[in-house]
Amino acid sequence: MDLGFWTLQALNALQLSMLLFLLSIGLTVIFGLMHFVNLAHGSLYALGAYFGASLAATGGYWTGFFLAPVAVMAVGLVLYTLLIRRMRKSGPMAQVLVTFGLIFALLDLTRIVWGDLGLPMNAPEILSGRVAFLGVEYPAYRLFVVALGLGVFAALAYVLSRTQIGAMIRAGVDNDAMAACLGINVERLFFIVFCVGCALAGLAGTVAAPLLSVTPDMGLHILIPTLIVIVVGGLGSLKGAIAGSLIYGFVQTFGAVLAPQLASMLIYGFLAAVLVIKPAGLFPAKG
Amino acid sequence: MFRHNTLRYGALVLLAAGAVAHAVTAGYFGLEILTEILILAILVLALDIVAGFGGMVSLCHGALMGVGAYAFALLSTKAGISVPLSMVAAVAITGAGAWVVGAVCARSHGIYFIMATLAFGQMAYSYVFEAPVFGGDDGLGGISRPDLSLVGIDLDDSRSFALFCLAALTLVYGAAVITLRSGLGRSLSGVMHNAQRMRALGLTVWRVKADIFGVSGMIAGLAGVLAAQHSMYISPGLLNWTVSGEALVVVILGGLGTLVGPLVGAAAFVVLKHEVSALTSYWHLVVGSILIAVVLSRANGIFGWVEARWGAKLDRRLADSTRGTEAQEVTGDA
Repeated sequence: MDLGFWTLQALNALQLSMLLFLLSIGLTVIFGLMHFVNLAHGSLYALGAYFGASLAATGGYWTGFFLAPVAVMAVGLVLYTLLIRRMRKSGPMAQVLVTFGLIFALLDLTRIVWGDLGLPMNAPEILSGRVAFLGVEYPAYRLFVVALGLGVFAALAYVLSRTQIGAMIRAGVDNDAMAACLGINVERLFFIVFCVGCALAGLAGTVAAPLLSVTPDMGLHILIPTLIVIVVGGLGSLKGAIAGSLIYGFVQTFGAVLAPQLASMLIYGFLAAVLVIKPAGLFPAKG
Repeated sequence: MFRHNTLRYGALVLLAAGAVAHAVTAGYFGLEILTEILILAILVLALDIVAGFGGMVSLCHGALMGVGAYAFALLSTKAGISVPLSMVAAVAITGAGAWVVGAVCARSHGIYFIMATLAFGQMAYSYVFEAPVFGGDDGLGGISRPDLSLVGIDLDDSRSFALFCLAALTLVYGAAVITLRSGLGRSLSGVMHNAQRMRALGLTVWRVKADIFGVSGMIAGLAGVLAAQHSMYISPGLLNWTVSGEALVVVILGGLGTLVGPLVGAAAFVVLKHEVSALTSYWHLVVGSILIAVVLSRANGIFGWVEARWGAKLDRRLADSTRGTEAQEVTGDA
């Protein structure tokens, strides 16, 4: 176990973290702004992977990469107008249940459309090799995922902290009634954030497709890690989402290396500890 | 406080009569389904106590059931303890575990409570999955049912086992009603409606929540013991969070906080599952759509809907007889 080994593990952890970050940021801001618990977020991720794989099969990887998030956003739009807008005013329990039903329904819809077997999706030609990085050979595609995650994080951090719409979103998360009184169209803001969140979930799915197998239940598998990330990080905050993702990625990866017996329990134990000590998460959006 | 009304008594009598009639007449496959319904009914009763009467929406009841099943299986097959003693011990262990979970989670509310219980449930799932003593992915087999040959009953016969489960469900229902009517149950409904006020009255709120969670855990543990005896084989899948999610779906389909409703829900869910599975493999699409429709309809499940209609009818009759003067005060106890 030399330095190269640890670098490799750290890169693996970082790559997992970035994937989770893409998924959790949408979910956490939707929750922070709309107080809406969207358990079906994982299903949108699975849809992203399926759209990506289908589009890539016809038009090459980059077609899938750019169009799948748009397609998932369209699905999100339909869900928003049909269901989610109506559920806005009901309690968390009803929202959890409706989106739980949605998970079931979307799971079987993907099975009907794409079948039970996994779909293959290849990384693009240019990213298919390995590159030397920090003294180790690492798959270029995984480095691309890390870079993409960091890029999205930087872009979101800039938008949220430096632009007017970012200030409006922060105001909405902090106190939506007050923001509405100051003339911000909070409803429209919700809508924009929801669309961006769905698109990011779709992006995460497309990007994950060449790494994992595209199966109907992939959305169900990623849901729990995503929820852990946003609860550990604190609901509604960008800082929480990135911190939660990094913690999850590193605890999971290094846990599997150092204590394989306890690895899967470790992260749940950590979540339980956070909930007991800081019930609102490490970096909650509201002070 | 939990009360029975005519409708609830009527539904209970109908359900019991239906179960007994089915247990006496059905063939092997029908008896398997009946047993499945009865065990699920015990689990959802446990969930309805915490979720419907305490506002504690738990996503770890599937795991609690699994803990009961594994505790029973290990004690009776590996530790060599007699079956009845193992049953009691498994129920006690699950209750104790649930009490601890309830005590730790008692401070959280809403979505955080859901997540915290989910975390504990998944923790148990991963542990059972990983640790060699539980047989890992392969599960555990060779589980035996209690020996009642002294009183001339052979539980290895599926008809007697179905009746045995029915007896267990009846006992559990009685225990649930007694718990909810006791001081503890009344404190719980106080805590659900206004925890602040109950604290001001000098009540230790977390203790009430933990105690109720413990009772509920004992019931879930019993469901696990019976599930282990039913299939005589257990696997870690029993503890997965989707089992808890399904139990929650059953409670909602039946009617949250009505105690009778979840029983109706369990029967409807299992029958629907088998009927739909026979027609199409897309059973999840059907149950998902039904769940969305039920929640959007804003009715409190099947039984809650019937009860609301029945209450409205009673009101109308009262309003007719009193010419609408005092009808406003006599509203149904839904």
